[in-house]
Order: sequence, then C-alpha cells, then structure tokens
Amino acid sequence: MTSARRLDVTTSRATEFVDVTTRLQDAISAAGLREGRLHLQSLHTTLGLTINENEPLLLGDLQATLERVAPGAEVYEHDNLLRRMDVEPDEPRNGHAHCRHLLLQPACTLLVEAGRLVLGRWQSVFVVELDGPRERQLALQMDGEFVATETAGARDRSDRELVELELARQLLVDPEQVRGPMRRLVEAGGKRLRPLLAMLTSRLGSQDDPLRAAALAAAIELLHDASLVHDDYLDQAAIRRGRPTVASTEGPARAVAVGDYYFAKATRMIAQLGNPDVSCTIAHAVETICLAQMDDVRSRGMYPGDHAMYVRVVRGKTAALFAAACKAGAQLGAAPAGVVERLHQFGDLLGIAFQMADDLLDYSVSSGKPLGQDIRQRTVSLPLIYATEDARHGSRVRELLAGPLEDDDVEEVQELVQASGALERVGNEARGLVAAALRELEELSLDGVGSQLTDLAQSTVDRVR
Amino acid sequence: MSTTGLADEVGTNLAGLESVWDSSIWDSSMRDSYAFYRSQARPEVALAAALVESAVALQDLGRRAPEPPRLLLGDLCLARASRLLAETGDTRLQVAFAVAVERVAAEAAGGPAARALRELLVAAISEHR
Repeated sequence: MTSARRLDVTTSRATEFVDVTTRLQDAISAAGLREGRLHLQSLHTTLGLTINENEPLLLGDLQATLERVAPGAEVYEHDNLLRRMDVEPDEPRNGHAHCRHLLLQPACTLLVEAGRLVLGRWQSVFVVELDGPRERQLALQMDGEFVATETAGARDRSDRELVELELARQLLVDPEQVRGPMRRLVEAGGKRLRPLLAMLTSRLGSQDDPLRAAALAAAIELLHDASLVHDDYLDQAAIRRGRPTVASTEGPARAVAVGDYYFAKATRMIAQLGNPDVSCTIAHAVETICLAQMDDVRSRGMYPGDHAMYVRVVRGKTAALFAAACKAGAQLGAAPAGVVERLHQFGDLLGIAFQMADDLLDYSVSSGKPLGQDIRQRTVSLPLIYATEDARHGSRVRELLAGPLEDDDVEEVQELVQASGALERVGNEARGLVAAALRELEELSLDGVGSQLTDLAQSTVDRVR
Repeated sequence: MSTTGLADEVGTNLAGLESVWDSSIWDSSMRDSYAFYRSQARPEVALAAALVESAVALQDLGRRAPEPPRLLLGDLCLARASRLLAETGDTRLQVAFAVAVERVAAEAAGGPAARALRELLVAAISEHR
C-alpha cells in the first residue's frame, strides 16, 4: 500500500536549515504507516535535503561551509542572463545556490518502524533553503504496512488534517503584518497536542461535529502560539521550533501586537461556536495562564524553588490549557458532566507530565532545543530543583545558580544535574503522572477514542526516551 | 457615581490585578474609563471595556515594546476582560470586543488603520445592548 502527499515549507532567510523531523513524523502518524519507508523529494533545484544534528552552532558551520564552497559574491555563468535562453522576467541570480545544491540531496528515503521514523540519537531531517525566502514544497510518498483503515484510524487522520486546514484557512484572511509571523510559527511544526486533545474529546458526546471541533482546536493552537510569541519576547529567546522567534525577526513591538491579535482572534473563533460553557472554560484557562506567568516571574526571586512551587506554576502555565482543551472539546460535543470533569483532570495531569518531559529536553542534544536554555534563562525547572536537593551535588548546584552563569557554569550545572540522578527522577515522575492521567479515563466509556488518548498521553513522555 | 462607589463595584473583579488597582493606571485612566463605560453598560461589560483599554495602554500597543511586567499585566487585563465577557454568556458581545482588539492590534503591527479603540468598544456595546 502507498500514500502520497505534499509538505509545504515557508522559508524566511536566504540560506536556512529547516528541521522537518516532527512534521515528517506527524505525516507518518496521520497516514497510519507502521512499517515501511518514507520517500522525501525536493521539488526545487535550490532546495536540498540533509540529515544532520540540530545544534545551532553546527548549523552555522554548515552554512559557512556552503558559503566557502560556492561564495555568493563569486561570478557564475548561470547569472549572466544575457547569454541564457528563455529567461523569466523575475529570474533570480542564484548560480551559487545551484552549485551549493551539489553538496546536498534532492531526495532521500527514511525507514519507519513501529510507526516511528528510524533516526539515530543525533539525527534530524533538514530541508535546506539555498535561495530563500520562498514558499517551497516537498513530495512525500510512503509505502509499507499501514494501520488497518478502520473508521477510527481514518477519522484520526482526517482530524489532524482538519486542524491543519482550519489553521491555514484562518491565517489566510488575516492582515499580512500579523499573518506572516504567525504563519511561520504555525508552519514550523509543533506537536499540536492541545488541538488534538480537543478533537478527540469532542467525539465523546451526542453532538460530535468534526468541523466545529476543528474550529475549537485551531483556536486553541492559536492561543497557545500567541502566548509563545509573548513568552519569547519576555525570555529574549532567539529560536522557537528551530526557527527565529517572532520578536527576533519582527522586533518586540510587533511581536506584542501579533500576540494580542491572535489572542483576540482565537477568543472570537471560540465565541462564534456559540457555546457559553466552552467560552468560559477557555477564558478561565487563559486567565489562569496569565496569573501563573506573573507567579512565575515573582517566584524567580526564590529560584530554583521547590517541588510545590514548580507544580503550582506549571499547573497554571502549561497544564491549564491541556485541561481546558480536554474539557472544552467534551463540552462542545455535549459529553455528560462526569466525563467532562474526568477529562479535565486527565488534561491537568497530562499537562504537568508534558512540562516535566519538556524540562528534560534541556539536557538532550537531539531535542532541537538549545542546550542549557532553561539554566541560562533561570526558568523554573524540576531537574534543577531535584539536583539542588541532592546530598552530594546540591550545594555546588545552588552555588553555581546563585552566580552569573557563564558558559562553563552552565555546562557544569548540566553535568551535576545528570550526575545527581535528577533526570531519571523527573522522567519517572512524568511517567507516573501519565499513568495517573490514564487512570482518570478507566471508568469512562470512551467510544473508540480510548486508544488514541492513551497514545497521545504516552507520546508526551516518550519524546525524551 | 463616586470614586468609592466605583471601586466597590469593581473590586471583587480585580483580584490578581492589584498592580493595576494600586497604580496610577487605576487612579487615572482606568477609573475614568470605567466610569465612562458604566454610563452605557452593565458593570461587568464596563469593566471588561476598561480592562481592554488598560491592556492597550500598559502594552504601549503600536508604539514601543513594553517592559516585561507591563506586558504580563496587559495580558492579564485582556484575559480578565475575556473571562468577564464569557461569563455574560453573550457571544455576540464577545465577538464584537474581540474584533475591536484584533483591529487595534493589526494596526499596531503595521496593518490597516483602525478606528480608535474606545470608538470600537462603544460601537460593540451599543450594537449588542
């Protein structure tokens, strides 16, 4: 059996390494491929493919290598448009980009086992823009054994596609000044856990309507992304989902406006569903997130804090939207009140587990997240809290965290956290929370979405294994 | 309505917004703003409108990037306004307020010019009264 589709990629710089690993994995999951191959092919002569390590400094080295091999300032016969035939009016001078393409692949095949891309610990799949910024397209084909195309499987795939379509549709009508930055963030990937939770839970009532659920799911994703735009300005973060942040490309003043625009737009989309319970659920969650953000900032005076403080902040900042996505989805589908409340609990526990797993990515080179970012930004993080409690290394960790944190200090903190066993402790706690979240579902009649909710819950902690 | 009366009326809805409540924002613009909207709308809607105005002022929308505490407080003002409106159950009013913020934010990002925020909010209130 085979499956084919296209993957759209929007690039924002002349030369850019875009990590598409997550999007490829999503495509595999959406297609239901369990064992087989994913074939990936660039549809452009100045867009290549490569598999390499997602480490920002290395990506700089690779870009410098491309520049050395075919300098942009060199003279290329291809750019002598007077000597060429059939030249388009807007023909770019990009001889260097074609020459650089010699170092890359136009196509590649990746193996898939148990529904997952087979990649080594350090491997990420990159699309390499050589003549951007541009709108690009890749062709994907999959062959092998697919999950049986039962109704639920087909519905899962169509749910994911509906969310993406709704996001694209919503972005299409916005003014370019806000749409451009948000579109780049949305298209950069993301796991879409919150919208998928809303889609799944919306099936649990008597008013299952995929189109209305997709509108809710897309609004939840836009709310999440709007909060990321503001967070990145506050944290002075340069990279999000492997790309420059909105604040770093558009400037902080526009980033604030873009965040506000999509907060308002998402609120409108939810109100237009005409379900007051859903509106209240999401509005309460957003307010909780904002209060937790302020709590987080205040708590930084007690950095790195303790477990109780961590859970309080994370429950507000992260878990509130997971819980609201589950609850609002169920409310939209008119699920019974008892089911709605259990799903809210499920989302709350899952959200905390998700954040714990996310904290662990700060110590994982293959995560795509800049190493040691949480330490540098003094973000509340459970591995650090546990490391400070360690009898052997705790005092040194506290001493380092109290100082200015130069690069050497960050590296030493990372080593001490690993040596303290804090990472294993956090990993176990996150898995325990996922198990507790799943227990919330045990007594519910989940009408065919039980296995999907379980898979989604497990995926929150599986990503750090 | 007296200053004390206004403060009593909205006090319970401002928990967590003490920074706004205690600051010059409340002492001047927000109090005046609330009094203005209160003359044409019920308390929770008037407070929502005043909070939206405060958010835009706190975040210096369309002018410069705010200091982080002002951004956070502005976000909280917008969120609180959204929650107050959601609790009214009036979805058309929620939509009208959201559209007003969208227009002002789009203009602040360099997009199409919008009418003044107060004008947009007054129109939203009067159309859905």
